Amino acid sequence: MATTATLTLASADIAGDPVSVSKTATLTKAGTINDLDQSIGLNRVHLRSTTNKVLLSANTEGNNLAAKVYIINKAVDTSLYLTVTINAQTVGKLYGGDFLFIPWSQTDTDANIEVAATNWTSSTGDIPVEYALFHEDTDFLTNA
Amino acid sequence: MAITNATIGISSNVTDSSLSVSNTTELNTAGTTTGVNTMTSVTKVLSSTDQVDLITTGSVSTTHAYVYINNPSTDETKYFIVTIGNAGAGSPTDTEEIGRLYAGDFMWMPWDVDDDICITPSTADDMTVEYMVFS
Repeated sequence: MATTATLTLASADIAGDPVSVSKTATLTKAGTINDLDQSIGLNRVHLRSTTNKVLLSANTEGNNLAAKVYIINKAVDTSLYLTVTINAQTVGKLYGGDFLFIPWSQTDTDANIEVAATNWTSSTGDIPVEYALFHEDTDFLTNA
Repeated sequence: MAITNATIGISSNVTDSSLSVSNTTELNTAGTTTGVNTMTSVTKVLSSTDQVDLITTGSVSTTHAYVYINNPSTDETKYFIVTIGNAGAGSPTDTEEIGRLYAGDFMWMPWDVDDDICITPSTADDMTVEYMVFS
C-alpha cells in the first residue's frame, strides 16, 4: 500500500527564465520508510458558515505520528475563500480553486483543522470543499 | 501579470478502491484573477535544533501568499517541525505546530502573512530545507 503526492509549480514569466519545480513524496509513517496505511478517503462538504467549522478533529494519539491533509476549495468564483485554522491559528485563505497539502501534528485535542466560509452570503452560494486525510493513528476510529 | 500554475496529484491504494486526485490552480492575488508576480526561492542548511524564523511576514508585501517547503533529506529519521504563530524579535514564541516534514516530504499552503512560519530541525546535523514563496 502506498500513497504518493506530487506537486508541480510552473510559470513561464514570473522570472526572467521559465520556472518549473516538481516534487513527488511517498507518504511514510513517522521516522520510517514504511508507507502510511490509513485514510479517510476523499470527502466533500458544502460550506456556508462564516464561523469556524471543524473539518478534521485532532486526536492526541496522532501526536508525533505522521498525517497529511489535502483540502481544496472547489468554488468557481475565485473571490470566495475559506479561512483555514489550526487551534484557532489562521494558516491562510483558500480562494476558489486553491488547495493545500500539509502535514498535521495533532499535538493535542485543540489542534483541530477548521474552516470558515468567511465572506459567504446567501447570494454567493455554498462553497464546495473537498478534503482527504492520510495517517497512521493507532486508533482506527479517529479523524472521521 | 505573471501566470503561475500549481498542480497537485495524489494517488493512493490504501483502500480497496484506489484514490486518485488531480487539480491545477492558477496562483492569483487575493480574490482576483490577477496572477502573483513575486517569487522567492531559498535553500538553507541548518546546523542546530533551535527554532528559526524561516519565512517572516516582513519578507512579503502582500496579505496573501503561497508557500512551498521541502525536506530533501533521504534519512528518514530527520524531520522539521513546522510552526506558525506569533514570532517576536527573532525569538519565536506562542507558535502553533502545523506538522512535521519527514525526509522527502513537502508541504504547500496558502499563507495570510499575519505570522511568521518557523521550523525546528530534529537534529543538529546539517539539515537542508528548501522553500518558495509566491505573492
